[in-house]
Amino acid sequence: MSKQTNIPVLVISLALIAGIAAALLGWVSDVTKVPIAAALQENNNVALQQVLPAFDNQPANETKQVGNVTFYVARKNGVVVGFAGKTISNKGYSGEVTVLAGVQLDGTITTVIVTKQTETPGLGTVVCGRTRKKTISKRIKGIKETGLPPNPILDQFRGMKATSGQAPWAVKKDGGDLDAKTGATITSRAVGGAVFTIAESFAQNRTELLKENN
Amino acid sequence: MSLVKEFTKGLVKENPVFVLLLGMCPTLAVTNNAVNGLGMGVATLCVLFGSNIVISLIRNVVPKKVRIPCYIIVIASFVTIVDLLMQAYAPRSLYEALGIFIPLIVVNCIVLGRAEAFASKNGVVASMCDALGMGLGFTLALVVLGGSREFLTSGSLFQIKLIEGWSNDFMLMGQAPGAFILLGVFLGIINWHAIRKAKKAGQSYTPPGLDCSTCNLCDLGED
Repeated sequence: MSKQTNIPVLVISLALIAGIAAALLGWVSDVTKVPIAAALQENNNVALQQVLPAFDNQPANETKQVGNVTFYVARKNGVVVGFAGKTISNKGYSGEVTVLAGVQLDGTITTVIVTKQTETPGLGTVVCGRTRKKTISKRIKGIKETGLPPNPILDQFRGMKATSGQAPWAVKKDGGDLDAKTGATITSRAVGGAVFTIAESFAQNRTELLKENN
Repeated sequence: MSLVKEFTKGLVKENPVFVLLLGMCPTLAVTNNAVNGLGMGVATLCVLFGSNIVISLIRNVVPKKVRIPCYIIVIASFVTIVDLLMQAYAPRSLYEALGIFIPLIVVNCIVLGRAEAFASKNGVVASMCDALGMGLGFTLALVVLGGSREFLTSGSLFQIKLIEGWSNDFMLMGQAPGAFILLGVFLGIINWHAIRKAKKAGQSYTPPGLDCSTCNLCDLGED
C-alpha cells in the first residue's frame, strides 16, 4: 500500500457509496410510502372502530377541534351515528394519557379506551390496558373470543352523562363514584378527568356539532 | 474452515449474546416477551445478512482508510430499509414495542463487528453463512431470554398463558432489572459449564471471543 494518501480517491469512493445508498433508499422510501400510510390509517381506524358504532365514512378525516377535545364524526349512509372524543390529560403519574371515548348523539358515553400512555407498568398500565388474556386451555378447547376485552375501570364510564355534574366523575377517594385501581389512583383520576372533559365538551357544543355535521 | 462450520459457530460456540457478549442494548431492552425477542432478532438477522454480503462484495474496492464510514453507510441503509418495511408490513403493536431499537441496530456491535472481523476478509458465500449463523444465534438468544422473562413475569409464552391461576404479574422480570438478573444467571451457567468442561479435559479455560481471531480492533489504527 502506498504511503501517500490519495485524498481524491478516498473522497470519490466514499461519495460514490453514499450516492448509491441514497438512491436505493429513495427508491425503497417511494415504494413503501403508500403501504405505510395505509398501515397508519388502519391503526387509527382500529381505535375508532372500538369506540364507535358501525360507520362507513373515514372519521379520521372528519374531525372538529373544541378546546382540548378532538371530535371524530362517524356516519353511516351519510347520517351521523355517533362521535368519538379524544383528549390528552397531563394529570397522569408519568406523562400524558391520551383517552378516546365514544359519545352517543344524546351525550351518553359508550366505550372508553386509552390510546397512548407511559404509566407505571403493572399498576397504571392495568387501568389503561384492554388486552385479552389468551390461555392454553381456551386454545385447546378452541374457544374464540371476539369483541373488545373488558376493563373494570374503563367500563365504569359506560352510560354516564355530563349533565349530572362533575361530582360522580371523581374517584371514591375524592368523594366521587368511580372505583380506582389500588396503587394507581392517580392514573384512574387522570382517566376519569379526561372522560369528563370529553363528556362536558360534547354537552356544551352538542347543538353546534350536530348542526354542522348534518 | 468449512461453510457449515461458519454457519454453526454463531449458534452455540460463538453465540453473539451468550458468548461474545455483543449487542447488549437490544438484548436487555426489548426482551420482555418472546415475540419482541423474535421480532428484534429477525430484524437484526436481515440487516446482518444484507450488510455482510455487500461488504464482502466491496471489500477489495473500498480504500482501507475510509472502510469504516463505508461499512456504516451500508449498514445504515439496510437498517433504514428494514425500518421502512416493518412500518409498512409488520403488525403495528410489534413495531411500536421495538420502537427506537430498530433504528439503533445501526450501532449494534454485532453488525459492524462481523463486517470488520469477517466480511471484510472473506468471500461472499462464507460471509453469508457467517451472517446467517450469527443472526440466528442472536435471534435464538433473544427468544430464550424473552421467553424466560415472559414466563417468569406472567406464566405465559408467546402471549399464551400456560399457568392460568397466575393473575398478578411479577413485574421485576418484565422490567430492566429482570433482564440483567436473568442474563447474569444464563452467563453464569454457560461459563460454569465451559470451565468444568475445560478442567475435565485438563486444559486452562480461555473465553472464546477474547482472542485475536474474532477481534481486530488493533488494526484500526493502521493504514
